[in-house]
Amino acid sequence: MSATKDNASHLGNTPLHLEKLKEVARKELPRLLDTVRGKKGLVLDPQLTGPLSLIAEFTLLKDHGVEKIYHLDSDTLDTDCASLIYICRPKMKYMRFIANHIKQLSQKSEDSRTEFSLYFVPQRTRVCERILEEQGVFGSITIGDYAMDWIPLEDDLISMELDPGTWKEIYLDGDHTSIYYAAKSLMKLQSIYGLFPKIIGKGDAARQLADMLVRMRREQAVVDEVSSFTSSKQPSLLNSVSNHIDQFIIIDRNIDIVTPLCTQLTYEGLIDETMGINHCFVELDANLVNPNQQAGSGSKQTGPNTQSPAVPPPVTTTPNQSGKKKKYVLNATDKLFSQLRDQNFAVVGGVLNKIAKRINENYEERHHAKTVAQIRDFVGRLGELQQEHQSLRIHTGIAEQIMDYTITDEFNSILEVQQNVVAGVDGNKEPDYIEEMINKQKSLIQVLRLLCLMSLAQGGLKVKLYDFFRREIIQTYGYEHIETLHRLETLGLFTKRTTATPSRSAFSQSRRLLRLIVDDVNEVRPNDISYVYSGYAPLSVRIVQCAMQKIGPGSLPTSGPSAASLFSYVGGGGGNNTNGTTPSQTNNSSGYLNEKRPNGSSGSLNGKLNPNPGVTVSNGWRGYEEVLKLLPGKSFEITQNVEYGAETNAAMARARRHGMQHTKTTVIFFLGGCTFTEVSAIRFLAQHDESRDYLVATTQMINGNTFLEPIVESIH
Amino acid sequence: VILLEGFEQDDIAERISKLKIAGKTYQDDKERAFEAKGTEEGIKLLQMQQQLEKDTHQPFTGLSVSETIYKCTVLGQQNKASKVKSEFKVPDKRMWWIKLRALVEVRDWENLEKF
Repeated sequence: MSATKDNASHLGNTPLHLEKLKEVARKELPRLLDTVRGKKGLVLDPQLTGPLSLIAEFTLLKDHGVEKIYHLDSDTLDTDCASLIYICRPKMKYMRFIANHIKQLSQKSEDSRTEFSLYFVPQRTRVCERILEEQGVFGSITIGDYAMDWIPLEDDLISMELDPGTWKEIYLDGDHTSIYYAAKSLMKLQSIYGLFPKIIGKGDAARQLADMLVRMRREQAVVDEVSSFTSSKQPSLLNSVSNHIDQFIIIDRNIDIVTPLCTQLTYEGLIDETMGINHCFVELDANLVNPNQQAGSGSKQTGPNTQSPAVPPPVTTTPNQSGKKKKYVLNATDKLFSQLRDQNFAVVGGVLNKIAKRINENYEERHHAKTVAQIRDFVGRLGELQQEHQSLRIHTGIAEQIMDYTITDEFNSILEVQQNVVAGVDGNKEPDYIEEMINKQKSLIQVLRLLCLMSLAQGGLKVKLYDFFRREIIQTYGYEHIETLHRLETLGLFTKRTTATPSRSAFSQSRRLLRLIVDDVNEVRPNDISYVYSGYAPLSVRIVQCAMQKIGPGSLPTSGPSAASLFSYVGGGGGNNTNGTTPSQTNNSSGYLNEKRPNGSSGSLNGKLNPNPGVTVSNGWRGYEEVLKLLPGKSFEITQNVEYGAETNAAMARARRHGMQHTKTTVIFFLGGCTFTEVSAIRFLAQHDESRDYLVATTQMINGNTFLEPIVESIH
Repeated sequence: VILLEGFEQDDIAERISKLKIAGKTYQDDKERAFEAKGTEEGIKLLQMQQQLEKDTHQPFTGLSVSETIYKCTVLGQQNKASKVKSEFKVPDKRMWWIKLRALVEVRDWENLEKF
């Protein structure tokens, strides 16, 4: 089956060739499966099936002897496979399940012994091994690691696809494992593409991550030195600065928790808000995806469905509904979707309409086909046309479903509350509406999204309101939410106001300094990233803009520091040339500072959105210290240098000759998850920045619901 | 943490005793007055729900205050609903909403007319 080929064809069109990343993860899997001979059963962590299905299709597993696939979700397992392979995240719960399976299966039959092996993603932990020891099964199981680092979702988006909750783990539980995983995965990235020449970031966890990266690089250097004697060195580019990547920006989710709480208003974002997108898949009513299309044109659409292994249909069906749920893949293979995804939902209807008309016209062309050649030409395009037709139908269906929701009073009231709160309009209407939602017992998550947003934007709620809402919530949703509220308070999401001056919150100040609220949004022809939230520019992406797009009137013409720095590396020939870039930078930033003063006019930030090509110069945080100070956590800039020997110098010179032609890529890593709208906003930046590509990397994709869910206490 | 342990107990008596410990812990800390009071109320609710279960032979535990009132109204136990309301000082506004929803649910138009 060519399902994966189809699925992956949208990758590999950028200088970075993300296809490579996928191959790395893919090659590893068969190796791991082949460690056990013969037929085997695969037991998967339910959280991992989605990500796994993105890198390997079912046939690949089958080719390597996998007969059956199970989900690891209970402590009993009925199987007749002679050997079992477990692939799961290192969680204590799973260890208990596995231990029980082993006991149960070895009891059942003495003569046919089942073989067990267990692979941890991304690696084993002491605690898990300990549990297996305590359960007395440690000896009967083979343990290994499977580092499934990066999963390329798109050409400009890669994700580690961790469970949602990274931010909460770091800032509430003090659990820094995911930072470590991120560092590991980023090292992998660097070993493929070369060292990031510059790492800048903001936020405490981001700082930790950067430090870890620097340390790991040093450790790696030692390991390399040792292994160069044993000559078992793996090819890696950790010894050279990347030719493709010019800088690496770490955005700690903690600096901007407002953005994920807002309702996303792009097409893709709204799909995620209303139906949920999991690992590129959205679940739709089956009759929407495939009413009775013949298999020919439908195969591509449903192809990925067959490839996602071990997703038992019963789980996803809702019995009372007529139609079963079907998975539908959302990525750039769907040309129509790639046109729509980043658009504000307000214009999606119009675009769909236009496309429908065009397709219809194309169909009509058959009447004009007179000659045989023309007919042949038409028939040749028919397949493509039908496929377009099919995907148009699906997206119209999706859009209709979303529309059903967006025209409700509820949606519009929520949106109004959000927009007012974010814009800093403090009326009485907003609390009233939230109270009404509680009274109607609307979903707690939705209520909390609004309350947290309000608290964040206003620097805490007035004591009276705060106490009122806390009481209302625990009486309406149950007393166990005392704990939920406590967590929200600890995280600073929902707090009472401590100072008397209300408008001094960090958010309201950065709103002013970064011009987060843009009144004249043009949703059809966006001129600023604020179009993704119909007027609110995501803070996180504004920060990225700060780091990226500084242009002063007096800046150097063309070949900015990025080129200059490369020259200086070569010219320096091993010298430690950290300051090679500094002169031009200072020059720049001082020029910029003059312009930056916010004097009410729409000047500065808007100006930066349309950088003259060639003048774009990135020089870190300079010029934005004031804003950055307001936001939590440290900001930092690290330059990674390499002391080159003579031969690498020659290589660099060669690289300069060939490599300088292609554009550089800036990697933006969201530690703690990012939303689809933020990706859209960055794509918008990329479109308006000729001189470089952007690659978004994240620990996982989130939205306001998946962001809060791990924090909300649930009892079963 | 004890609070959550408390909520995980299946047995109601067990749950109450755990919650009592949690409440005590909260009381030791002045900053945690809200939590202390909340836990106290939680215990009170559980006790009332036990009584309600005896009277109506319907499961009540695990419901929140609002849900309890809702259920009482649905079952036609207006007095009991009012009792819960006064006991937990539920604001009138919320009370109306709950009653409204509950009465519509059982299509009790007569009682709906009444208020």
